[in-house]
Amino acid sequence: MDDFTLQYVWAYSSRDLDTFYKISSFWGGQKGSLLFWTLLLSIYTVIVHIQNRKRNALVVPYAMVVMMTITTFFLVLLNFSTNPFEVIPVPPEDGRGLNPLLQNYWMVIHPPTLYLGYVGFTVPFAFAMAALICKNLDDSWIRLTRKWTLVSWFFLCMGNLFGAQWAYLELGWGGYWAWDPVENAAFMPLLVATAYLHSVMIQEKKDMMKIWNMSLVLLTFVMTIFGTFITRSGLIQSVHTFDEATLGYYFLAFLGVIIVICVGLILSRLSLLKSNNELDSFLSRESSFLFNNLMLLGIGFATFWGTIFPIISEAVRGVKITVGPPFYNQVNVPIGLALLALIGIGPIIAWRRATWSNLKKNFMKPLLAGLLAAGVLFPFLPLGSRSEIYSYITFVLCVFVMTTILIEFFKGAVARKSLHDEKLPEALASLVWRSKSRYGGYIVHIGVVLIFAGIAGSQSYSAHTEKRIKIGESLKVKEFTFTYERLGFIEENATKTRAIAQVGVYKDGKRVWTGQPEKEFYKGQNQPVSEVDVLSTWRQDLYLILADFGEDESATLKIYVNPMVSWIWMGGWVIAFGTMVSVWPDRLEQRRRLERMKIQSAVFSPAQE
Amino acid sequence: MNHKKIKFIVGSLLIVGAIGYLISASISSTSQYFFTVEELAAQKISFEGEGLKIKGNVVNGSIQRDPNDSLNVRFAIEENKSHLDVVYQGITPDMFLDGGEVVVEGTLDSKGVFHADVLMTSCPSKYEAEKEAGKTHPGELPLNGGGKGMDLNKTAPPVKTTI
Repeated sequence: MDDFTLQYVWAYSSRDLDTFYKISSFWGGQKGSLLFWTLLLSIYTVIVHIQNRKRNALVVPYAMVVMMTITTFFLVLLNFSTNPFEVIPVPPEDGRGLNPLLQNYWMVIHPPTLYLGYVGFTVPFAFAMAALICKNLDDSWIRLTRKWTLVSWFFLCMGNLFGAQWAYLELGWGGYWAWDPVENAAFMPLLVATAYLHSVMIQEKKDMMKIWNMSLVLLTFVMTIFGTFITRSGLIQSVHTFDEATLGYYFLAFLGVIIVICVGLILSRLSLLKSNNELDSFLSRESSFLFNNLMLLGIGFATFWGTIFPIISEAVRGVKITVGPPFYNQVNVPIGLALLALIGIGPIIAWRRATWSNLKKNFMKPLLAGLLAAGVLFPFLPLGSRSEIYSYITFVLCVFVMTTILIEFFKGAVARKSLHDEKLPEALASLVWRSKSRYGGYIVHIGVVLIFAGIAGSQSYSAHTEKRIKIGESLKVKEFTFTYERLGFIEENATKTRAIAQVGVYKDGKRVWTGQPEKEFYKGQNQPVSEVDVLSTWRQDLYLILADFGEDESATLKIYVNPMVSWIWMGGWVIAFGTMVSVWPDRLEQRRRLERMKIQSAVFSPAQE
Repeated sequence: MNHKKIKFIVGSLLIVGAIGYLISASISSTSQYFFTVEELAAQKISFEGEGLKIKGNVVNGSIQRDPNDSLNVRFAIEENKSHLDVVYQGITPDMFLDGGEVVVEGTLDSKGVFHADVLMTSCPSKYEAEKEAGKTHPGELPLNGGGKGMDLNKTAPPVKTTI
């Protein structure tokens, strides 16, 4: 643990660092994070091997080759470019310690979560490649990797949310997402993967969109590598500076090779990927999936374009032009709203072709609920600016979508109740239990709706103020009064001193909370670290920052009142639960798979070859 | 190519077109030019009033805070021999220090003073920022109410942003 002969250990750890954070300093820096990536990839390869020891002998060897090749790439990087085991000739007494900003428990779980997702997509990618190589292009590779995809998607999603939470709690700027290139790099694979998760359902049910699915899974993997490339190459101006620009070019070369191989393989197998069915009507479940894919990829492309725009504009016009959060908000919010509406429409519209009566039957109640919500909310919400109008639409859509999902649950439960003579809660539970992947998916949708609502609430109706005040003075934000009461200092240990401001929060003359934002000073670091204090409730977050203080004990406070932020984190937990339900081993499915395997091995068994 | 296929291709193209339009329209309305201080000084056309994003290093000892209002900050950023005066109102990020690399967003006024409404710091070189992890976030603190009430009578720096 404390072997400071290793340059990396010296740079990211120190003797008095907590064991918890010592572990996290493993992935605290570039070299360690690559080593961690390689480690995960190797573990995944072993798991795939164990899972498939006695089956799928046709595809798995190829998939293993693909995974091994990728592992080799990382091993080459680790050995020749960024050796994490570099030795310092004269070992120093103590390390430099971990950046205090990274000493937060979200920061300990956020990178591994994200990596688990990033690396996880290698498995579906490898199987897709294997299917292409050995021309075994039915949907077996999709079924084999369904759980891998879901689990990786889940980790990617959680990784993004944990990152947002860390940024919110640790960085002290009152927000959780800034459309920074590094955030985009993690966000884009998530979007493509979501599109893939949905469109494979069409292939499983209708045997359509084969080329599309193949492209999506390859694109997902390419996006993870691309994300690593842009964050490592220093090509794009980000607040993150990276030491070794050369590393990016290894990734660029790797990216180029992957793209060429993928496109080549798909083109050469094009005739085998022909679909047997086609779309019938715009008003059908199939086309709602198609539109959902277009929307997700639209957001993905807009994000991609915004991220690389500085490079493109420099190459084409000779001037670097950057786009910031306003660009992403202007483009992605309308597309996101359309997507939200589709979450409501997709699951209840009929397959093939929806008739008028069928539309009326399924959409009457949710539409009424939406209209009712629009009417009820109208007098309460300000509609002054564009963002406020968007938020209003979002809330109305959230109610609409929520109603469709709840009706689905309710209808299924009632049907079961009368069929099996069960009580309603019991019927509901067994309904979900019986078709886990379907209802798990709906639960995930509920989580997504909560996140949409949280974003809408916190983006449009938040208020903040910043001012230098003396002890006893107050600031007012929305209906809250914040009184600055005192300033105290605590010498935590030899290296850390905390300055804490005490702020009393009153609402309608009653004290509701005592906030203690602080500033921490670390010995050997010339910069202090602000620790915010947050009171999070379902209605709003009260968010206090101690920005500065003077010798006369006056302090500069920045105070945010952010409504509904906790809904986003809540949505995250609902998504986690839904995914869990969805991937839970299913006995029915297992039986079906056994049947399939029997047929398959009868046809393809190696013994016959 | 049958009738249904054409219908869907047209429908999809309409959506793709709408998204494309949204992207291009938004880029032209929200984009900012990005220069380093030296590049800005070398520009021949005036960028007065345009949205700009400038990168440079804080000149040692140039950070001055208004004694009455510590949120009112003026400082200079430099790169090689070029130099730019900046005024900013708001809380400065923890890592806003002499010599540190910063990125400011805002506009130039006619005297060549840069009015920043966003001030971002890069991580000090001591910590190479790591992967997703090291995002030492901007400390993006947008300016409220646009640089009003600031005294602009400083000597104009030799910025060649006008023809």
